[in-house]
Amino acid sequence: MSLKPRQVDFNATWKAIKETIRGVITLDHVPRTVWNDRFSDVYSLCVAYPEPLADRLYAETRQYLIDHVAQLLIKVQQDGEQSLVKNYFLYWTQYSAGSRYLHSLYLYLNQQHIRTQRMSDAEIIYGSIDPNVAIQGDQMEIGELALQVWQTNMISPLGHRLVKLLLEAIDLDRAGLPPKIPIEAVKGTILSFVEVQAYRKKSQLQLYVELFEMPFLNASGEHFKKDAAILLQERNVSLYMEKVKAKIDEELFRARQFLYSSSLPKVADRCQQHMIAEHLQFLYSECQNMVKFEQRKDLSNMYDLLKTVPNALVSLVDTVFDHIKNQGLAAIHNLQGDSVHINFVENLLTVYKKYRALINEVFKSDQNFMGALDKACNSVINHRPNDGRSPCRSPELLAKYCDTLLKKSSKGICESEVDEKLSESIIIFKYIDDKDVFQKFYSRSLAKRLIHQQTQSMDAEEAMINRLKQACGYEFTSKLHRMFTDMSVSADLNNKFQTFLNNDKIELGINFGIYVLQAGAWPLGQAVVTPFALPQQLEKSVQMFESFYHNKFNGRKLTWLHHLCQAELKLGYLRKPYVVTVQTFQMAILLLFEKVDTLSCKEIKETLQLNSEQFKRHAVSLVDSKLLLADTEDIDEFETNLRLNLDYSNKRTKFRITAAVQKETPHEVEQTMNSVEEDRKMYLQAAIVRIMKSRKVLKHNLLIQEVYSQSKVSFAPSVQLIKKCIESLIDKQYIERTPHSSEEYSYVA
Amino acid sequence: MADENDNDRIDDNQKPEKMFTLKKWNAVAMWSWDVECDTCAICRVQVMDACLRCQAESKKDSYGKQDCVVVWGECNHSFHYCCMSLWVKQNNRCPLCQQEWSIQRMGK
Ligand SMILES: [Zn+2]
Ligand SMILES: [Zn+2]
Ligand SMILES: [Zn+2]
Repeated sequence: MSLKPRQVDFNATWKAIKETIRGVITLDHVPRTVWNDRFSDVYSLCVAYPEPLADRLYAETRQYLIDHVAQLLIKVQQDGEQSLVKNYFLYWTQYSAGSRYLHSLYLYLNQQHIRTQRMSDAEIIYGSIDPNVAIQGDQMEIGELALQVWQTNMISPLGHRLVKLLLEAIDLDRAGLPPKIPIEAVKGTILSFVEVQAYRKKSQLQLYVELFEMPFLNASGEHFKKDAAILLQERNVSLYMEKVKAKIDEELFRARQFLYSSSLPKVADRCQQHMIAEHLQFLYSECQNMVKFEQRKDLSNMYDLLKTVPNALVSLVDTVFDHIKNQGLAAIHNLQGDSVHINFVENLLTVYKKYRALINEVFKSDQNFMGALDKACNSVINHRPNDGRSPCRSPELLAKYCDTLLKKSSKGICESEVDEKLSESIIIFKYIDDKDVFQKFYSRSLAKRLIHQQTQSMDAEEAMINRLKQACGYEFTSKLHRMFTDMSVSADLNNKFQTFLNNDKIELGINFGIYVLQAGAWPLGQAVVTPFALPQQLEKSVQMFESFYHNKFNGRKLTWLHHLCQAELKLGYLRKPYVVTVQTFQMAILLLFEKVDTLSCKEIKETLQLNSEQFKRHAVSLVDSKLLLADTEDIDEFETNLRLNLDYSNKRTKFRITAAVQKETPHEVEQTMNSVEEDRKMYLQAAIVRIMKSRKVLKHNLLIQEVYSQSKVSFAPSVQLIKKCIESLIDKQYIERTPHSSEEYSYVA
Repeated sequence: MADENDNDRIDDNQKPEKMFTLKKWNAVAMWSWDVECDTCAICRVQVMDACLRCQAESKKDSYGKQDCVVVWGECNHSFHYCCMSLWVKQNNRCPLCQQEWSIQRMGK
C-alpha cells in the first residue's frame, strides 16, 4: 500500500467500505486483513487526487447510518409495546458498541479531515452558538455522528413511548411487583439518553433531563404526595417520621438502581419537599412533647428530616432552648441549706452535661443546638429571681464553690477530683455576664484562704487562676496576682526581720510572723479596723517590726489588722498541755485570766477597749468552745461573769477556736456588690483613657462601642455608665470635646 | 489542728510556770502611703492605686505591680508621682495650696 495521493474510484472503494461498515456496526466478524484494507481505503479517499473525496465519504457514511438506524427502528417496534424497551436496549447496546469500532476505522478522516476544519472546542464551550446548530452545520467525528444519527432517528420518534414504559416499570418497582421489563434494560435505556450525548462539550445531560428526568421527577412527586397523604392518616408523628426516612432511603436506592447519578439529590429533594416541607405543621405538633420527654429516637429522626428543609430547624431549636432553660431554672430553684453553692454549681453542671451529650448524640453536635445550649445556660446562669428585681447570685455562689474546693477541709475528696471540679466550674464561669462580680467574691475568699493559711494547695490555687486568666485575660486576674505577690514579699520580709533581730540580739519572746498586705490590693474593706488595747506580750513585736519596716521603706504607714491575726497559746493549767490556735482578740481575752479565774464582761471589754460587737463575738466563741464558762444563759456585756474552765479537756492536744468572723456575712455580700460599682467606674475610665490615648480623636458612638467591646470580657456596662465616665474624664481634663462637635472627643496629653 | 509539731516536747521538759504561754503570733498588717488625703487631687484616684494613666497602660505589666509611687511636697501634700510630673510642666505650684512645688520625699 502506498501513502502517496493517487486517483481513486470512489464508487468501488465506497462499495467495499460499506460492506465492512455493515459488519462493524452490527458487531459481525470482520477479518483483520479486511479491516486493514478498509482503514487504508478511508485514507486514500481522504487524500485522493486530484481532489480529496473525504466529504463524499462522510456524506455516504452518514446516509448509511441513517438508513441503518431506520431499519433498526422498525425492528425495535416489531414485537409491540411490551418488548419495546427490551428491543431498544438490545439494538442500542449493539449499535453503540459498533459505532465505537466504526469510529476507529475512520481514524484518519476523524483526525486529519474533521478536526482541522472544525471550530475549536473553546468556541463551542464559550461561544454563543447553540451546540446543536453548530454541530449539525459542521461535520462530526464518525463516532459522534453515529450517536447523533441514533438520537435523531431512533430516540426522537420513539422517546416518549419509551419514557412512558420506563415510568411504568419504575412504578411497578415502587409497588413491589415483579418487573415486566428486565431491570437491566430499563436502566440501560435510561442511561442511553445520557450516553448518546456524552460526546458533547456542553449540556451533556440535556436530553436525559428533558426527555426523562423531568417527567420522572414529576411523576415521583405525585407519588410522594399520595404516599404522604396515606401516612398522615395514621396521625402518628413518630411513625410518620420513621416511614418517611425509610421512604427516602428506598427512593435513593431505587434511583441508584435505575437512574444517572445526577438525579439522586433531585429525587431526595422532591421526596423531602412533599413529605417533609409540606407537612411541617404536622411534624411540629409533636415537637414539644418529644423534647419535653426527651424521646431520643424521635428527636433524632426529627432532626434528620427537618435538617433537609431550609430554616425548618428553627422551631425545634427554639423548643430545645426553652426546654434546657426550664430544666436549668428548675435545677437551681429554691435551693436551701448550707450547701446551696455546691448544689447550685453541680446541678447546673449536671443539666449542662446532660444536654451537651444529648445534642452530641441526637443532633449530631449541630451548631444551631450548641448555640441553643449556650443561650439557655446563659439565661439560666444570669437569671435574676423575682422578675429581675433580685440580683443574680451565680457569681457569688460559684466563687463560694471554688472556695470550698480550695480550702483545707476534712472532707476526703482527692486532689484529682478537686482539680476536675474546679476545671468544670469554668464551664459555668464562662456563661456569667458579671464576671467582675465573681472576681470580687473570689478575691475575697482567696484573701481569707491566704491570710488564715487555709489554702489546701498552692498548685491548685495557681491552676485555678490560670484557668480564669485563660478565660478572661490577664487584666482580670492581675488583682489576684497582686495578693500572691504580697505573700511572697511577706515571706522575704519575715526573713529579713529575723536577720535584723539576730544581728541586734533582740528577743521578742514569741515566735513572730507577719503578712504585710498592700492596701487596695486586698478586698478587706477599709472600715474594719476597730479599737484594741494591745496585750503587753505583743508590744515589743509590734514596735520592733514597725521600726524595721519604716527603716526599709519611705512614706509608708502600717495598720495592724488584729481581727485577722492569729495566735497559738499554750494552756498550762489543765491536766494535759494543749496548744490552741485563736484569733488575737480571743487570745487577749484569755490572757487576762493569767492571774484571776473570774472576770466580768464589763472589765474585759474595758481593759481591751473592744467594741461591743467584737467583744461579744469572741466571748461567745470562747464560751461555745467551753474554755470559758458563763454564769448567764446569754452573754450580756454588763451582767455576765466569765470563769476559766479548769476542767476543760479535749481529745486533741492541738486545736483551733473558730469564730464567726470567717463566715461570709450578709453585710459583706452587700459591701462586695457596692464595691463592684466603684471598680466598674475605674475600669471604664482606664479603658477610655487607653482608647483615647491611641486614637487621639474619636466620635462619641465609636468610643462607646470600643469601650463596650473591651469591657465585655468582664461585665456588660450600660451606656449610661460609660457616658458618666466620659463626663468625669472631661472634668478631670483627660479628654475634651473637640471644638467642631460636641459628639467628638480628643485626648489631652 | 492536726499538724502537731514537736515544739510541745521541748516545752514539756520545762515546767510551765504560766497558765497561758503565747507561743506564736501570726500578725497581719496593711501598708499604705502615709498621706493626709487618700485621693490624688490631680487624677482623683486613690493614691494606693496606680494613677489613671498607669492603669490604662497596665495591661502588659507583669504580676500586677505598678511602679506608680507617691510624692510629697514641702507643703506635705501628696500626689501620684506620674500625675505631679505632668502637672509641674504646666505650673510649678502645688495644685492644693498654690505654694511653689518642691519635692520633700518619694514613696518607696
Ligand atoms: Zn494621680
Ligand atoms: Zn502613674
Ligand atoms: Zn500643697
